[in-house]
Amino acid sequence: MKPTPDAIASGSEGAMTPQQAAALLDQVTHEARRKLEPSPPWLLATRAVAVLLLLGAVWMSVRGQHPYQGPTAADIPFLIAFIVINFAATVSFRRHAVAGVRGSSRLRRSEIVVLVLAWAVVIVIVAALAVAGTNVGRYPTSVLIAPGLAWAAINAARRSWRRLATGLGVAVVGVAGLLAGPVGAWPVAGVGLCAVLLCAAGAVAWNHRA
Amino acid sequence: MNEETLDPLIHVPTRLKIVATLAALPEGDTLSFTRLQDMIGLTPGNLIIHLRKLEDADYINSEKTRNGTVSITTVALTSQGRAALGAYTRALRDLLGGDLLGAL
Repeated sequence: MKPTPDAIASGSEGAMTPQQAAALLDQVTHEARRKLEPSPPWLLATRAVAVLLLLGAVWMSVRGQHPYQGPTAADIPFLIAFIVINFAATVSFRRHAVAGVRGSSRLRRSEIVVLVLAWAVVIVIVAALAVAGTNVGRYPTSVLIAPGLAWAAINAARRSWRRLATGLGVAVVGVAGLLAGPVGAWPVAGVGLCAVLLCAAGAVAWNHRA
Repeated sequence: MNEETLDPLIHVPTRLKIVATLAALPEGDTLSFTRLQDMIGLTPGNLIIHLRKLEDADYINSEKTRNGTVSITTVALTSQGRAALGAYTRALRDLLGGDLLGAL
């Protein structure tokens, strides 16, 4: 096929065979999806492994406790560091991916408010448990339920079924952890969140290739 | 079926890159001119020439907004442009027997 006159005028275009066009289309589509994805599969998979290792380590430290006392002082800095790094990585990747993008790819202000409120609910629950003299370490997965449901609700409204499933998965892990008891909650949370994150990573990767 | 069935407006490397990049966004979302330029790796002048061609065909629309002293140009694929890319992809697949279009 001959290049169009304007292509020649632009000085950078040559003729493409259908094979070259197909390869270019494939490559550009894949690259664009990757660059515009706020949660890349490798980040989700890394997060899955990190959460499994971290919560697995906490489980190892609490499973011999009689009576149960919760994570040890050595575990707490790692838990806090994981939450802070995870939050920073999420915000950083999302900001980079949606730079210059306007529309549904960005979280709306109302959706950010819902997420902030969900975390506020978590803080209120933790504070209420502390005031009642109950160690929140007895119900560690309770903190997953409200944010998971909030993320599911936001994505139900957006008809984003993959993210809706991730939110519901996190909430289900939260409930399952409550049923598993204080010691059992840690492996349930570790394995459950790892599975949810790996499924999300697989779904994103599949979506990029589909 | 031959190469003549491929939309000549899209069957140019740079415009194919532009349309495929914009198609990666959800319908209705827009991309800033500078981000598009960064993603495709074109000079502003070259990008403008191709965007104008696509806009004349109603495949994309662009909008200029002012934010204080800074003016921001955003670009989006129209439903017509999305349909044209779909038809182009189908035509390529028919020409090649579907073998070389892994992602599409």
